Amino acid sequence: MDLLLLGVSHHTAPVDLRERVDFTKRGVIEALRELATGPAPTEAVVLTTCNRAEIYVACEDAVSMRADLARFMSRFHDVPAPDLAPHLYAHHDADVARHLFRVAAGLDSLVVGEPQIFGQVKEAFSTASAQRRTGALLNRLFTRSFSVGKRVRAETGLGEGAVSVSYAAISLARKIFRTLKDRAVLVVGAGEMAELTATHLRSQQVRRIAVTSRTLARAAALARKVDGTAVDWTSIDDELLTADVVVTATGAATPIITATTINRVMRARRNRPLFIIDIGLPRDVEAGAGELEQVFLYNIDDLRAMISENLARRREQTTQAETMVSEEVAEFVAWLRTRGTIPTVVALRRRFEAVRQAELTRLAPKLNGLSPEARARIDEITRLLIQKLLLTPTERLKSAADEAMAAQFAEAVTQLFDLRDDPHADTPDSVPDTSEGSPSPSTSKTPVTS
Amino acid sequence: MDLLPLLLYVVAGAAYAVYFARRSARVGRLATASLAAAALIHTFVVGMRTVEVGYVPFVGTAAAISAFVWLLAVAYLYTEVTTDERAMGVFIVPLLVVLQAVSALSDGSIEPTPVLDSPWFFFHVSSLLFAYAAFALACVVGITYVLLFRELKSKRLGFFSARLPSLQVLDAMNGRAVGVGWLFLTAGLAVGAVWLYQLQPDTADPRVRAMSFFDPKIFVVLLSWLVYSFELYARRSIGWSGKRAAWLSAFGFSIVLLNLVPIGYFLTDSHNF
Repeated sequence: MDLLLLGVSHHTAPVDLRERVDFTKRGVIEALRELATGPAPTEAVVLTTCNRAEIYVACEDAVSMRADLARFMSRFHDVPAPDLAPHLYAHHDADVARHLFRVAAGLDSLVVGEPQIFGQVKEAFSTASAQRRTGALLNRLFTRSFSVGKRVRAETGLGEGAVSVSYAAISLARKIFRTLKDRAVLVVGAGEMAELTATHLRSQQVRRIAVTSRTLARAAALARKVDGTAVDWTSIDDELLTADVVVTATGAATPIITATTINRVMRARRNRPLFIIDIGLPRDVEAGAGELEQVFLYNIDDLRAMISENLARRREQTTQAETMVSEEVAEFVAWLRTRGTIPTVVALRRRFEAVRQAELTRLAPKLNGLSPEARARIDEITRLLIQKLLLTPTERLKSAADEAMAAQFAEAVTQLFDLRDDPHADTPDSVPDTSEGSPSPSTSKTPVTS
Repeated sequence: MDLLPLLLYVVAGAAYAVYFARRSARVGRLATASLAAAALIHTFVVGMRTVEVGYVPFVGTAAAISAFVWLLAVAYLYTEVTTDERAMGVFIVPLLVVLQAVSALSDGSIEPTPVLDSPWFFFHVSSLLFAYAAFALACVVGITYVLLFRELKSKRLGFFSARLPSLQVLDAMNGRAVGVGWLFLTAGLAVGAVWLYQLQPDTADPRVRAMSFFDPKIFVVLLSWLVYSFELYARRSIGWSGKRAAWLSAFGFSIVLLNLVPIGYFLTDSHNF
């Protein structure tokens, strides 16, 4: 069994094409169902985000599967094959692992290190798993990708630091107040930036959002959108007394909140911390306000500087993250290789077990005279003997240094023990176990000297 | 005998420093484990001393400092386990190392003192040491508050903001630690005063006879009581929380440390056992 991946992403396709191949339109479950009845009957996972659409499958023949999957993508999304073909990429075995591990770690994302992709990979796997569309290969591949994602996040700073203005504002607020729950927010201005930030704050379950604007109607409209309260422009000072977070985003030419106002307010607040996010341009809050002790004043330039610093820091962390991915890929490839030798191991064990059973049957007339305990003892001794004899060859087969070596070993063992005609040999997913199975017909002919 | 815990405190301190710099969860667990091991060994040491001399080994400045280190380690471990916040260790453990080194390298011989053979002694010293441990935590939390505060104010976020909890949490921790410490300090002082009142009329010990408000140890501890009382009052009534409270608790603890080390060793005549 091979691993194959076919997909498009922001690296290869423009946004309009990515929109057309978005699996969420017709549903991932529907796609999984069609894959099961069509090109990929064994294992498949569909990963879809706004930046990528990818199909992961386990297959026998990677070359024909690649063509089948490309046809499937084109048919499923109703996109002509020639339009799609130049934007598709495909990976095989180890490269599938490398790709998915990089994706889960956030290394392949548009904004490197963004955290959502990890959840999206998990969701893609759990959807496929719930549909019983995953098996030994994809289970292993995806669970490994989760630990890679976790490891990269835990051991590097790749996912750290906000990289958008709204997120930067929220992460700052979380460094001042433990949580934004139960905090009061005052939004001054009702434009696009005000709305964006207010929506983000809303998602943090703040206690109250008060919106004010020179035109009350506009404030009321935004208040409705963010589930807040519109307040009169003249009551800004009163609102400043109760608010914990203030967002200002007006188009005013001169500052609308002066340092003197804030100074007065802070005294009345008994120095309770006040976080002011001034994203207006020109600025809405006098810079002097930020010098007051418990006032944390950030303007749009401060936030942008933070973001670019965070982006630079993330880029520095990618080398370390890539090294981790490589380590994990090597481990996964080693596992893949052991899987390749499993049929040989199973066949070898079956052969030995068959010989043992044949001998026991042949000697049955002589053994029948013994007590049941003695017969059980003989059974146990012969079984242990086989187990011990096979221990080293099994380990050597599984730990072969590379794929070619593993194939050579497997071939040699197959030749030496004449395993090719064993009808049960090719069951890669079964766990080798010496105690299982009855003698196969071919083995009864094995010449044995007693 | 104090050297083995000292060694383990050094290991824990190094592990906390590496954890703080790299934030590897494995190193963090190692740090906690080595600190727990140090505290455990230290418990044995304190226990063996108790068996050896027949009462809790708080007699003598070296033993008192060692007991303080032990209490602070246990108090910090408790805080770490309950808050799941490991970043403070890098500030606390070096303090443990320095104080334990002072204690381990000084003369630890104990002469039996009949006047201390009293239940008052245990309550007096243990509540004061517990108060000092709480103040040490408050001081460290206060320092981290100031570090994070400066980063947020200068708008150059990075090292500390990535590692420390929010200002609000640090401020609340500081307030709680000072509150608990103040209660124990008050109780310890009250017990000491009552005990002294009972002893002084008919004691033969010249040191007890000479005790007064102007003994450096007693004077300085009363000063620290005033500082912490003011911090609690100011926090409640005039909005002195945050940075001011942080500075006050650092100032208060520097007075406590003054009492614990230089005064305990060199300056006090009467209050020295």
